[in-house]
Amino acid sequence: MPTTKVNLETTDLSNYRYDMSRCIKCKGCYWVEHTYMPGVKFSTRCPSNVWNDFDSYGAFGKMRIGTALVEGKLDWTPKLLEIVYADPLCGACDVGCKRNLDLEIGLSLEAMRVKAVKDGAGPMPAHKKIAENIAATHNVFGSAHNDRKKWLTKDIQVAEKADVLYFVGCTASYTNNEIAQATAKILNATKTPFMLMPDEWCCGNTLQSVGMLDEARELAKRNIEMVKSTGAKTVLLSCAEGYRMWKVEYPKLLNIATADLPFTVVHLTEFADSALKQGSLRPTKPVNVRLTYHDSCSISRLADPWTPWSGERGWMGTVSPRLKRRRGTQGLYGQPRNVISSIPGVEFVEMIRARENAFCCGAGRGTKEAFPTLASSSAKHRLEEVKEIGAEVLVSACPWCKNNFAQAVKEDGNHVKVMDFSELVLASLDA
Amino acid sequence: MAIVKEAYKALEDVVGAAYLSDDPVICEGYRSGPAGYEAGLGYERVMTKIPGAVVMPKTTEEVQKIVKICNRYCVPYVPYSTGFYGPRSHCHMENELLVDLKRLNDFEFDEKHWYAVVGSGVVYSQFQEECLRRGGYVVIGGGGAQASVIANLIGDGWSPLSHRIGLPHRRILGTEMVLPDGEILRMGSLAVGDDWFWGDGIGPDLRGLLRGYTGLRGCLGIVTKMAVKVLPFQPERLQPKGISPNTALALPEKRVKWINYIMPSKETQVKAMYEIGKAEIAGAVTKVPLFWRAIAKAECKEEFWDIWLKETPETIANFHIVRVLLIGFTSEEQLEYDENVLNDIMMELGGQPRPTKPSDESWIKNADSAGMWLMCGSYVSVDYVIETLKQATEHGPVYAELKKKYTPPLMPDHGDPGWFQSFELGYQGYSEFLIYWDQDEDTTGVDHFYLETSKMNINHRFYTSLIGPHQPMYLTGPKYGPNYHEWMLKIKNEFDPLWTCHPPVPFAHDEFVERAPWMHELKTWETPKEFPYPQWVKERLAAEAATFRAGLKSEAKVKK
Ligand SMILES: Cc1cc2nc3c(=O)[nH]c(=O)nc-3n(C[C@H](O)[C@@H](O)[C@@H](O)COP(=O)(O)OP(=O)(O)OC[C@H]3O[C@@H](n4cnc5c(N)ncnc54)[C@H](O)[C@@H]3O)c2cc1C
Ligand code: SF4
Ligand code: SF4
Repeated sequence: MPTTKVNLETTDLSNYRYDMSRCIKCKGCYWVEHTYMPGVKFSTRCPSNVWNDFDSYGAFGKMRIGTALVEGKLDWTPKLLEIVYADPLCGACDVGCKRNLDLEIGLSLEAMRVKAVKDGAGPMPAHKKIAENIAATHNVFGSAHNDRKKWLTKDIQVAEKADVLYFVGCTASYTNNEIAQATAKILNATKTPFMLMPDEWCCGNTLQSVGMLDEARELAKRNIEMVKSTGAKTVLLSCAEGYRMWKVEYPKLLNIATADLPFTVVHLTEFADSALKQGSLRPTKPVNVRLTYHDSCSISRLADPWTPWSGERGWMGTVSPRLKRRRGTQGLYGQPRNVISSIPGVEFVEMIRARENAFCCGAGRGTKEAFPTLASSSAKHRLEEVKEIGAEVLVSACPWCKNNFAQAVKEDGNHVKVMDFSELVLASLDA
Repeated sequence: MAIVKEAYKALEDVVGAAYLSDDPVICEGYRSGPAGYEAGLGYERVMTKIPGAVVMPKTTEEVQKIVKICNRYCVPYVPYSTGFYGPRSHCHMENELLVDLKRLNDFEFDEKHWYAVVGSGVVYSQFQEECLRRGGYVVIGGGGAQASVIANLIGDGWSPLSHRIGLPHRRILGTEMVLPDGEILRMGSLAVGDDWFWGDGIGPDLRGLLRGYTGLRGCLGIVTKMAVKVLPFQPERLQPKGISPNTALALPEKRVKWINYIMPSKETQVKAMYEIGKAEIAGAVTKVPLFWRAIAKAECKEEFWDIWLKETPETIANFHIVRVLLIGFTSEEQLEYDENVLNDIMMELGGQPRPTKPSDESWIKNADSAGMWLMCGSYVSVDYVIETLKQATEHGPVYAELKKKYTPPLMPDHGDPGWFQSFELGYQGYSEFLIYWDQDEDTTGVDHFYLETSKMNINHRFYTSLIGPHQPMYLTGPKYGPNYHEWMLKIKNEFDPLWTCHPPVPFAHDEFVERAPWMHELKTWETPKEFPYPQWVKERLAAEAATFRAGLKSEAKVKK
């Protein structure tokens, strides 16, 4: 039986030829998993295909388009670029598909973008601008690098040297200081000494997400080396996208396993949950609201650790050696819910689509910059769900989600208050 | 490729630019293959085309206008609800219009009379949840939760839950359909008012024409709305649990319960099913194939093969399972009563109960059907039969015998004889034969097997549901008719004189056999010199067949 050599490198779309060509149009990637299907309302999970109804915007369409691309049957056109990039790469399709099948849908979508960049067609102009910003100022906004630590207030204690390193990220450093401040204060309140990067640069999320892997790899190397030089044992993030970068994408870019990183990567929700269990986090101040939680993709279904793999595909499409597929089961689903539920006064109500079935806010991975209408319509659609369950506050654990929701709330004159997880936890701590 | 400009412009005026596209990338997204139901086989490779354009209407009126435009400009079109059901849901001609019906997703539940009016874009798991929430249920066809309710009910519509619920024809109530010429047909009580409650209506019941036996595969118009009967279930919540892929509905055990029995023989297996039906107990009674259990157990494709290759023809031949779903429709006591009766039946027949999980993954919401593709990547049901329970156990082994000749490329299934279940409390039996292969292999053997099953059925005088558009009409029509192919033609010509609606279905399989040189050796039946299409269809199909032949020649040259 002839075999084909294959690996998980997204730099070569033909690695995913089998996966793309075996998509059966069952649309398990579009609908909320049928066991959890809530009825005719809020029944979908693909922001891209909700934004544009043509099948070509769902993973099933993209797998067919990807197959045609790898076979050289399609040329890059503005429409093709739109289909490839008007997509938050939220991973809902990947976990939906992997409920029954072993197809690497998420990685196929990434590999299409890498091909777009390689072929000189991608990324989108808005992404190129971000790449330029990062090259010039080390942050996505093009803001002055010197201002990166401006968020620090006097009442925050930062250690010179500590086991925990808080990687703040571009958003919390520049546009969402409240998240950086709340995170630092929670660390202080739990008596967890933490340090910052000696010179923090962007994590590279947008670069990786839009297929600019060379540039993202350089940042990965630099950032990992810098953490190594500090001797930190844990890198803590308050940004979901940053968490995914450090935990999954850096190892992927460097062809190593997450377990090979010389430190562990922890999101604030995870940290808060263990601190709660150990007794160092004591949310005693009541927060009297009816609130709900939005699972950010990058700490949930996209967060399974990375392990490099290469091997052969042979009879009936089986692979050897065995490949442990990432099915999104190791996401941080329970941790934030444990913490939120422990806060006195909080009336926690689940979204209709929760955990691996959550409907992405639509902002991440380069989408909001290049396709703002997709990001805003997705956020508004999700806010409808918040309204349906009667929540007053919407909590997420990612600044990208927070900003996108906050903007949609403003545009719609909605009365929902949008908060980051860090802000909620801080509000529950006695001064 | 694109459809005629004037037609395109007219369509754009109907739906607006946002819901119509002839962009090659958009159209590529609507390709039938390379994978899916029946995909990768000759029929899919030879007969399907990517659309010339795709249109997404929102209302019945828009559908009517679209169809009228297609008639005006001789644009062939195909109705498409989700497209899951393989090549026959996709364009068969160049420059064809694919009418994507997903935006026809209205849903209205009549709480008083227990039916729901659904649009073509509503899928089963949505509908089932709306029913369960109200203490009712429907049958989700084995094809799965993601299938369009309408698309399923106009062709199929059964699952193990049909043991009690009965045949799909009777659950179709008032129905609204746009005929191939754009006129509206209202069926059942809808024909005389705006009430959807009744299926038969006055005058002739057209549901037979709508469905045929197992569907006309979209060649007789577009169903836009259908009222579907909802059956009473039980009041307790079936709680979803787990994180994907390990999710299931937790069952309230005093009201809903699966029990598996291992029977001593094939005869007692069938007898048990009859007796359960006779006693009028249970909500589902079925025999599942052993490899489904392997799919359910396996964490990945490779593990499936670890499990499956340990089986032998003997273990398969001696696997006599009866799965029974008990439902306390009226009370816990009723379930207790059913269980006692079941125990008596099983005690008498020597059935041994096996532990089962207090959950349902497969049938109530039917989230698992995509698992059919796990082990090989390619799949089709070569036959399904609604007959008697007894015929299933006779028909199955004959299939298994024929399958041997085509294994490989078919999956080594150790002679699995398919699966079967009780319908209508045992008055009928349903059986289905499934095959699996890898589409990267030479699939000629699979194409041959598919056709040979039809001949096998004819030779053994077996009843089969896969006639009509599923197999060559000129092969099956004279044998099952003696002239049902002629009737089919008359009906098609009556409703769709121009043949704009999904040509050349229902004669597409005949067309395939003519076009595919590797099928010619199997052609032992008579066909007319020319197929009886209208002139424009004839001309276009002839041109397409010529292009196909030229393609084959140049492929052969390249190979040389
Ligand atoms: C794995 C598998 C197992 C199956 N087992 C069973 C089973 O046990 N029981 C069962 O009942 N079914 C079974 N089926 C059949 C299946 O459930 C189909 O009935 C279902 O998939 C059709 O719905 P769809 O959304 O996929 O239709 P589509 O693919 O959208 O369409 C199917 C056909 O109907 C036509 N069509 C679609 N919508 C309309 C419309 N509104 N008006 C007119 N024509 C239309 C299309 O042109 C096409 O020919 C099985 C299928 C598969 C793939
Ligand atoms: S991507 Fe996976 S889940 Fe989606 S249609 Fe294809 S096979 Fe089904
Ligand atoms: S990643 Fe998310 S938005 Fe993109 S195709 Fe998959 S489900 Fe849709």
